[in-house]
Amino acid sequence: MKFLCVECDEAMSLAETRGPDRGSMTVIFGCPVCGRQTAMLTNASETQVVRSLGVKIGGQAVSAEPMEGIRTGLAASSVGVSGPGAEGGASKCPFTGMVNEAFVRSDMPWTEGARQRMENIPASARGMVMQSVERYAEAEGLAEVTETVLDRARSGMGM
Amino acid sequence: MKTWHDIATDGGSDVAGQVAVQADRLAERLSDIRYIVAVMSGKGGVGKSTVAVNLAAALARNGARIGLVDGDINGPSLGRMTGVQATTPPQRTGGAVSPPETTLGVRVMSMALFLRDETTPVTWDAPSQSGGAAWRGLREAGALRELIADTAWGALDMLLVDLPPGSDRLPTLADVAPRIDAAVVVTIPSAVALDVVGRSVRMIQQHLDVSSLGLVENMASHACPHCGQADPLYPPGRTDRLARTLDVPVLARIPFDPVLGMAADEGHSYVYEHPDRPAACAFTELADQLKLLLDAS
Repeated sequence: MKFLCVECDEAMSLAETRGPDRGSMTVIFGCPVCGRQTAMLTNASETQVVRSLGVKIGGQAVSAEPMEGIRTGLAASSVGVSGPGAEGGASKCPFTGMVNEAFVRSDMPWTEGARQRMENIPASARGMVMQSVERYAEAEGLAEVTETVLDRARSGMGM
Repeated sequence: MKTWHDIATDGGSDVAGQVAVQADRLAERLSDIRYIVAVMSGKGGVGKSTVAVNLAAALARNGARIGLVDGDINGPSLGRMTGVQATTPPQRTGGAVSPPETTLGVRVMSMALFLRDETTPVTWDAPSQSGGAAWRGLREAGALRELIADTAWGALDMLLVDLPPGSDRLPTLADVAPRIDAAVVVTIPSAVALDVVGRSVRMIQQHLDVSSLGLVENMASHACPHCGQADPLYPPGRTDRLARTLDVPVLARIPFDPVLGMAADEGHSYVYEHPDRPAACAFTELADQLKLLLDAS
């Protein structure tokens, strides 16, 4: 997809990307001649198609890791504990790159029920939330994240 | 006013360049692999994976360096059938993932190695699973590319890719891989299977650049457990007629053997443990015929 400034008859350049926000991305293009900007707003399906191609709008800042599409694309419910998605099924945004990788997780085990409940959280925020829960559990001296721990963390952290 | 064709770049993302990098990575990984062979069939349930696993074992038993990719992203079975699912999960080594090996040294890569357990379905992270028709195929093709490109195969004499049923699967592999040197098309001698297999072979011949093709007739016969006499399971001659019509060779005929199924369930190598059984001899014959076919091309 390319954008053209009709007035200048000039190809527009990528200026900025924002999101994802509930599956939608904002991609802003600007005309290098007149400076006029336009924003492309994707719906969730369009975002997912780009993501499925294994490319990143805005360019690939770093080389792709081995099995990155599998590692980051599988839902948390599918990922094996020791598999390449062991980071917790973290989802990478196709546009702005790594989102959840910024949130380094501990080795604390999760019960299946607790992990399933994380599926309800948008992928872009899941790593951050899981990290927060693990920190709460560690502070409470707990050895495992269960659904009860999730409920307590939720009320304790005002979630 | 300019059109899409007048503008050289996409504004800064270089999506085409990123896709080219993916293709280069795959080509580099495959550069040390002599032959890439697809094991396929348009029809499901004819024994593609059984043929793939035992063909790999027969080749490896003769000293060849063999890799085996489970191309069935949603229904992976090679992890169990080769026994590697019970071994240590694949580990990352440098820029690739090291494949586990079978007792015969066949290097195996499968989605099954990355899933939580044997009953876990492949579910892709998405805002919603509905409407997935638009992107699920892209995900699966990308996963197949990664299973091939991001595995530390090392130098191989042959990489076998076991494809799921459907005549559209080989074109998907052709989109992903820079070359396919041969296709081993598995059938059983039933008219229903042969119809579908015939369409698949015609599609390959008309639309794909696959230089070598051959049929494997699975469940060709059944040996009486009491007297050893081999009787056909279906009216004889059907596979040969299709092969003549399509102008492709029949590489081997695999007799039915319940021990073969049990070995697959237990992840044991049938060819290694039962080398003298008729089906094991047929897999050895298949390995020899495939090598001849490839060397001739």
